[in-house]
This record gives sequence, C-alpha cells and structure tokens, in this order.
Amino acid sequence: MQKFLISHIEKCTGCARCLLVCSALKEGQFIPFKSRVHFVNFARDGFSVPNICFHCEEPACQEACPVEAISRDEWGAVVVDDDTCTGCDECVDACPYGMIDLNGHGLAYKCDLCSGDPECVKVCQPQAIVYAVLDEEASHNRIFLMKQQFKEGMAKQKRLSFAHALKGMYG
Amino acid sequence: MYLYAGKIAKADLTQKKITIEETNRDWIDQYVGGMGLGFRYFFSQVRPDVDPLSPQNAMVFMNGPLAESMAPLSCRLPMVSKSPQTGTIFESNVGGAIAAELKYAGYDGIIIKGKSDQPVYIAIKDDRVEIKDAQGLWGKGIFETEEKLKSLEKDEEVKSFVIGPAGENLVPMACIGTEAYRQLGRGGTGAIMGSKNLKAITVRGTQGVQVADMKGFLDYTSEIFQSNLLTVDNLWAHTDGTPAFVASTNDMGIHPTLNFQQGTFEHWEKIDSVAVKSIKRRARACRSCPMACGNFVRTEKVMVEGPEYETLALAGSNCGISNIEAVAQFNEICDDLGLDTISTGNIIAFAMEMTEKKIYDFGVTFGDEDNYLRIPKEIATLSGRGKEMAQGVRSMAARYGGKEFAMEVKGLEMPGYEPRGNWGMGLAYATSERGACHLRAFTAFSETPYDLAAMAQEVVSQQNFNSVKWSMCLCDFWGTVNTEIMSQFLKFGLGKNISAEQLDQIGERIWNLSRIFNLRAGMKKVDDDLPPRIKKDPLIGGRAQGKVLSEEDLETMLQTYYELRGWDKEGVPTQKKLSSLGLADL
Repeated sequence: MQKFLISHIEKCTGCARCLLVCSALKEGQFIPFKSRVHFVNFARDGFSVPNICFHCEEPACQEACPVEAISRDEWGAVVVDDDTCTGCDECVDACPYGMIDLNGHGLAYKCDLCSGDPECVKVCQPQAIVYAVLDEEASHNRIFLMKQQFKEGMAKQKRLSFAHALKGMYG
Repeated sequence: MYLYAGKIAKADLTQKKITIEETNRDWIDQYVGGMGLGFRYFFSQVRPDVDPLSPQNAMVFMNGPLAESMAPLSCRLPMVSKSPQTGTIFESNVGGAIAAELKYAGYDGIIIKGKSDQPVYIAIKDDRVEIKDAQGLWGKGIFETEEKLKSLEKDEEVKSFVIGPAGENLVPMACIGTEAYRQLGRGGTGAIMGSKNLKAITVRGTQGVQVADMKGFLDYTSEIFQSNLLTVDNLWAHTDGTPAFVASTNDMGIHPTLNFQQGTFEHWEKIDSVAVKSIKRRARACRSCPMACGNFVRTEKVMVEGPEYETLALAGSNCGISNIEAVAQFNEICDDLGLDTISTGNIIAFAMEMTEKKIYDFGVTFGDEDNYLRIPKEIATLSGRGKEMAQGVRSMAARYGGKEFAMEVKGLEMPGYEPRGNWGMGLAYATSERGACHLRAFTAFSETPYDLAAMAQEVVSQQNFNSVKWSMCLCDFWGTVNTEIMSQFLKFGLGKNISAEQLDQIGERIWNLSRIFNLRAGMKKVDDDLPPRIKKDPLIGGRAQGKVLSEEDLETMLQTYYELRGWDKEGVPTQKKLSSLGLADL
C-alpha cells in the first residue's frame, strides 16, 4: 500500500525539528530557510501550521515544467531531476502550496520523501507529520488540506496564505 | 566558523551608529557563550558603578553555541546588564525562536549602549542592521507592537524583542517580551530598554549554522534522546509542564501562600496542572524542543500560553487567588504590558498584607480578584497606587512599613519556593548575582533540606553548573543534562575537545566574574541576606510547619559557602582563587 505524508494541523507545537533535520540532510547545515518542509507560527494564537508537499496525484509543478524535469519516483514522490532542470521558475509559479522553490539554488528543489523514509517524520515528537497509508480520516484530511490552494505571490507567500486560511478555521 | 556565527552587532543609540565586529575567540574559549560570554562582554563595556537606567549602561544579548542546531532544548537567548531592581550584574534568558533567528542573521550577540533622543527600534535582517523610527509604536502593548513590526518589516516571520508600557515608563521590574508570551522576565530588562528609548529589536535571518561532523552530531542527538532526554526525570515537562510543581511544592510545604505566610495553599487543586489542562487548547514548544511544555490556554475571557508555575504560585496562591481563569487573565495582562509576573504577584501580595494588617491601605486584600486584575495596568502606567507599587516591595516597605514581610533579596522579589522549608533555597536566594532567584541553584527537591553543610555544597556546585548551562543556553527543563553531554555536543559541533572538567571550571569562572563585578558595584556581605520573615516567623501549615531559617543558621551556611568557594569571610574571592580561574588581571 502506498504511504503518504500527512499533516495533523492541531498537533504541531512549532518546534521546527522537521526543518532542522531536513536542511541538515539535504543542505549539510542547519538552515531552515532552505528546508523542504516548512511551518508557519502564529505565536499570539498559539498555533502552528506545517507546510508539506502533498505529492499530488496530478502535480501542477510537473505539468508546468517545460523540460519534463519533474517525475514520480518508485516511492510515489514527485521529484526534480537536477540534470534536466533549467531553473526557469514555472513550477514555482504553478504549485498552489508554495512547496517547490529555487531559493538560493538556481534549480528547483522540493521534498523527495527521502526515498520512502522521510526524516522529518522521525523527529516529529507530537506526530503532527506522519508517513502512513491513508485511512478514512487521513484521506478526508488530505482532501481538505489540498483544497487550500493559492496562486498569488512567491512560494513563501503561498505557504503563508495556506497557514492563514487554516488559522481562520482552527486557530 | 562552526556553531558560532563569529560576529557581534553593536549599536550606539546616542550616536545612531552600528558597528559589526568579530566575536572574541579567546573569550569564547574562556566563557563558551550565553551568560558567561555575556558577562565578559558586559564587564568590558561598563563601569561597575554605572546607573542601570543611564545611557552608559549596556544591554548584552548573547547566543549559545548550540542555537539553533538539532541539540534539543538549546534555544535560550540570555541578556546581561546591570539591574535597576538590584543594582547588580544579572542575566535573564528567554526561549522561543529568537535565539535561532539571531544566529541565522549571522550574529552571536547584540550589544546596545547609549540612548536615543526619540523612540526607535533596531531592525536586524541578515547583513542589514538599522536604527528605525518607533514613534508610532510607543505606548502600545507587546502583542500589538509585535504584529505591527511584522508589517513594518514586511515579513511575517520576523521575531522581535519588545517592551510594553511598563518598560517605557521605566518600571524597575518591566520585562522584554517576544512571541507574545515569552519574556526576558527578571531583573528589569524592559526598564533598561525603555531608558534607551528603544521600543523593539527585530531579527530575521536566512543563513545557516555549520557543524564539524553532521552525521556524528545527528547520531549523538538521537542517542541522547533515548538514553537521557526522554526519560522519567524530564518527561513531566512534556506531560504537564511547570504547573506540575503546584502539587509537589504543596506536598513539601514550600508553596508560597498569602505573601509567604503559609507553606501550603488550601485551594491549590483549583490552580494545579489539572486545572490548567481544563482550559488548555494546545501544547507549544520553543525551537528545537521535543518536550513542548507550553500550555496554550483559551476561554471566552483569556488567550495566553501559561500560566507557568511561578505565575500560579506568586500571582495565585500568594495573592489568595484560586480561580485558574483569573490567574491566566493576570498572566495575559502582564505579558502585554511587559511586567514580570513573579515580581508583580509579590508586590500585590505585599500590598494585600499591608492592607489587611492596616499598616497602609492599598485598597486590595487577599483573594480580591477585581483589584488584582486592575493593578498591573496601574503599575505599568504609574497611575494612582500603581505609582508606588511599581517601585517594588523593597521601596514600598521603606516608605510605608512592613519590612518584616517584604519578600525580596537585594531588591528582587522572591520566586515560588519557600526557604523555611528548604534552607538550600534560602542560601540560593541570598547568594545569587541577581537577588532572589531560583535558577542559579535549585535544591527544592533535595532530600536533606535542613543539612547546612550539604545545602552549601549543593548550592555551590549547582551555581557553577548552571552558569555553564546558561552559557550553553540550554533550557532549565533538561534536568538530566551534564557537562559530559555538553562536551560531546561541542565535540561533534566544533570538531574539538572541550572536556567536562573544562566546562566545570568555566562555570566557576563565570560565577566569580559576576561576584567581582557586584563587589565593585558596591555590594557587600550584608546584602547576602534574606527577609526577616524567613529568619523569624515560623512557617504556617504543611510539612515545614513551624520552621524558620534563623540568622545563625543562615550565617553558618554562608560561611561554609564562602569557604567552599575560596572566598574570605566577607564573601570576597581570594587572589588565589581568582588566579586559579584566570581572573587575577581583571
């Protein structure tokens, strides 16, 4: 059965360990700015929203890529081939969740589910991000979250819009 | 440079000048970071006789080596200055994410001196450090100011240090807030910032932290999670947070109640961790922390992360308030105004006893919720009775009487652990560099609370240990961490060996450095003292019923303590001790 990255909004404590481990493994240093997973913290509201890549069934990033640099790997992850990517930015514009970016790299980069074994999940103590087969509840949750799409702005702006929408509902 | 950012940002608010300099590497070797490095920089910046609220006083914010790495509970940011409450050097530290943000911006620390002629804020964004106009922010509470700063800086992820009306009005116990509910709480940090016409500091960084051996660092982190961190001695922080101490301190009879008249509170179950959970919405964490000890509570009347134990004790039981929602409201009000809840709770409790004993009528008695919730704003804005109360318990007692039950040491009001039921806490309060403080030595759970020699020994070793712990900027609530673990993190992080023994010595060096400063600032042995109530009035109720910590017993502990420290009978470090710590030339 295929596993999915699933976020449980109300469980996130805002500790950022997911960003730390992600950047450590992908960038070789602790640099959350370049993490593949993100979160938005609303301190006054005591509320944090994880931003994860959903690895969409029909990925907008893949569709937008003019050079077919984006594909799905054997674990179901939507991944970028660095050798093919030209850094044109089309995918960044296309993703409605702000989860693919060029920031400081020149080439597109995004979550690749760590070859079917996502490290962020392992360090998430409150289990706000899990990697699991979809049960009914998780499936509803995924569909609901994926409906929160935003077209305006850079990747970061879209992540903020996503978080604000959820704060409006849960915060 | 590994772990450290390698740079310090300096702001002179009088000259409106920013300079960036390299972090002093010799001092890193001698003091590690955080509190110790902060003390060393502060020592080099000001004369000990400096007036705390003058432009010549400095504020030194200093990061630790492990912010922000995967090392858990490593994201505290200390500030060092001279306190308007005590006239001593002091350190106060805060969690949240601002320590990390500062490191990502590329700085180990910020040093601020001078005084601006107009309200300003300092904006730090990576390489750009600017002084900006804050006239439109003056007068606003901390919550609103933080939101406005995000707009002004056009960045929702900006972190900030902010003062509220209390800091602007130079209330000596004013604190600095960040991320709404976190504070550089004790010692009057906010008043110092206010005296410089500095409303806020914003910080945003996009850079990274390098470590020498990433695999080793991550592997060691995983190992220490299982073998040390996530074990029974620490997990209370995860399951309950600090409200757990309401039950345990009542059980031990060391729970400050009705201005420290009693050691237990009849209604403690109404404000304990179960009560907090009854209005809790979510768990909250500081950066890098898996424990998430923060209890975010919300009802129709209140929205706050808290109350923590100290607020429950000093602003709950100590004021005779047994309504959890009211204590949470008090917490939220103080957080927005920028008031330390420990000192504010103490001041109101003192006013309550003064009023009930008909010594002076402050118009508030124990359990009077309405006045209790009104007073913080009166204090922060210096209006009516608040003007006198703002000056603190010591000043109120000097003016109106009640010195016998003015519960402060060196001018700092007492935290939530009754010294008559645990004499080590008494010695800890008497000898801390910043007055009555529970974060330098904490013997509250000791099994020999009345053993004078054992308590003196424990206080010395804990003060040394905590000096290095606050210099590594680890959280208090990693109770089982030790210098061996710190040494391992530094080994993987820096790629060089700094032994546990070296770290132990650094702790002792730091403690002695603060002592030298305070003696030069005019502090004397007579200031290593406790309030008369602790020495004379038998404690009422609970397991320590009838106990005092007599003048003679305190003196015995002090002399043992001085001797263990290598200080003379007046509490002055000997030349021999200073030489052994490399402090002889200072």
